[in-house]
Amino acid sequence: MKRHILHTAAVISFAILVLSGFTFGQMTRNTQRAHDPGSLNCLDCHTCEVPTLREPCLKPCPSFAMTHTTSKHALSEAPDTIMIAEITEQFQPVRFNHKLHAEMAEMGQDCATCHHYSPPGHIPPCKECHGGEANPANLRQPTLKGAYHRQCLSCHREWSHDTKCVLCHTPTEAGGIAAMGYDSTDIIGISHPVITEPTTKVYLTPYESGPVVTFHHSEHIHLFDLSCVDCHQQENCSYCHDLQRPARLAKTQEEVHAICNDCHIDDACIKCHDTKERPGFTHEKTGWELSRYHARLDCRACHPTGKRISKLNSNCVGCHGGWNQDNFAHAVTGLQLDEIHGTMDCSDCHLDLKFTQTPDCTSCHDDGRTPDDILPGEEIRTD
Amino acid sequence: MAINRRDFFKLAAAGSATLAAGQAGASGSEPFDCSESYGVLVDTVVCIGCRKCELACDQENTKSGRAPSTFDDKSVFDKHRRPDKNAFTVVNRFDDPADPAKSYTMKVQCMHCNDPACASACIVGALHKTPQGPVVYDAWKCIGCRYCMVACPFQIPAYEYDNALDPRVRKCTFCFERITEENKMPACVSICPNEALTFGTRQRLLEMAHYRIRTNPDLYVDHVYGETEAGGTSWLYLAPVDFTHTELPVLEAGAMPSLTETIQHGIFKSFLPPIALYGLLGLIMHATREKRDRVAAEEADNE
Repeated sequence: MKRHILHTAAVISFAILVLSGFTFGQMTRNTQRAHDPGSLNCLDCHTCEVPTLREPCLKPCPSFAMTHTTSKHALSEAPDTIMIAEITEQFQPVRFNHKLHAEMAEMGQDCATCHHYSPPGHIPPCKECHGGEANPANLRQPTLKGAYHRQCLSCHREWSHDTKCVLCHTPTEAGGIAAMGYDSTDIIGISHPVITEPTTKVYLTPYESGPVVTFHHSEHIHLFDLSCVDCHQQENCSYCHDLQRPARLAKTQEEVHAICNDCHIDDACIKCHDTKERPGFTHEKTGWELSRYHARLDCRACHPTGKRISKLNSNCVGCHGGWNQDNFAHAVTGLQLDEIHGTMDCSDCHLDLKFTQTPDCTSCHDDGRTPDDILPGEEIRTD
Repeated sequence: MAINRRDFFKLAAAGSATLAAGQAGASGSEPFDCSESYGVLVDTVVCIGCRKCELACDQENTKSGRAPSTFDDKSVFDKHRRPDKNAFTVVNRFDDPADPAKSYTMKVQCMHCNDPACASACIVGALHKTPQGPVVYDAWKCIGCRYCMVACPFQIPAYEYDNALDPRVRKCTFCFERITEENKMPACVSICPNEALTFGTRQRLLEMAHYRIRTNPDLYVDHVYGETEAGGTSWLYLAPVDFTHTELPVLEAGAMPSLTETIQHGIFKSFLPPIALYGLLGLIMHATREKRDRVAAEEADNE
């Protein structure tokens, strides 16, 4: 009897294993075919724990944050103009200049300024997710009407302080609502001048002991890897354009200091202020010239923390904590250690583990031999 | 029925105890669970102050005949307005006390309380809370006492003082027929272009309101007005700053009628307190008559 029970249990366990293996295999195949490589949580797109080909239980719309922003879409892929014609009985179709708005969004969060939820590799138009009727089960999602109006009006009313329908909707003849006239101060339809990215800006300030401030703008973007919004925060349309006040084209001294101090809060005035123009950044200035391997690295490989670039310990083990005598190939330094020296402990030559200094051989060899004439190995490269 | 003096005092004591118990258990008189009743969430962060809700309400309910363009006039925001017999809802503009340059707009109308004070105060039952959510008014029953106007903590009901023959109390109807029979949303919710108004069951609206606060803590003050105020209301509000400077009053969490009705209903509970009261009065009458009879008898004897 007991044996029968054991057999049955074994058969059932085997069946479960086979079935789960089948399901898992199917999931893996689908995952490879339908998904970008990367760490996606299944429940971001599926409602069930184990989606299968037959029952994928896909959510009608994705609800996870933009995952494609790292691989930016070219503007040429996007439509130039979109005609919004959902309520043609009352108004003429709205001609939405998508290209112009996409260009303006570059100063904000790019496509994600409006396209808030997008699956990898695809930017859906508003109406792919937002339907015409409110869904009582999902009140969080506005209908298409709400989605359009919130997107448009959240910016437009900021600078125009106006919410008149006719700013976007031209009434049809049969609509019966009188047009209030086109507002000539409105910037709809007027191309924005190209925003150029400065290379270097030199400011003359009232600070007597250091009136000249040289700001290497391109360096902050391309070398220090800052994005526009890291400094230009909240600089949307209404920051410059507001119909109730004149256009602002320059920042005040307080505003500039606030932006710089966001990172340079601990730096003294002379970090920026000088009596003459300054050249750009080189790593030698930090007192640690980059050697051949380090020079090839991206700044963020060693300085990964946030906007503010942190100072690093110049000891090798500060970064290369895992190095020890067994796994370090000394040849990369240009010196292939001979058999005797290769078996010695690192600290035998590099006293106090100071690897930036050339070891002093006389601490062991008191016979007058120095690295200049007889080396502890073979020199395979000279820098 | 023979009732001696000792039994009477026992009865009176029992009646008083019942009355006291009734007062202590101030449990409120909310007739049903309102979590599945309809409500509307007003998100003043999303509201753009277009006044389209006023237009839709006028066309659906008050039918005052004002031209649609009347409602495009934003200069009305310079003055604080209140709902009246011709406007069941009005939009007002409020300045952010921290930054007067930032202002926001807020629609106001009947809150459709879960346990409405107006309905409790109404002596003829002309106002009542429906299970669907709206607090509805029956002009045929109304006798025009206007107790509802006094009772309302939001001072919403208005009165047709200029109508001498057939005056009515006027307030937001929550478009009762539209939402219950025509299966539509209230007129103001339907028209709102930015969907600052969301129509749904109270439970789901509260979930959504807290979700919005949680996901955008910078935009909202952490308070859903109407969740507990006046015992909970069908209309709920979200705002960017504290509600104390808006026209929504600072109210206790309990329903207004919970105190008044408990006292009044307690007095008549099981009819024992009235019996006790009348018993006591009877006893006094009896005692005084006995005394009077005795005095009269003595006087007769003396004579």
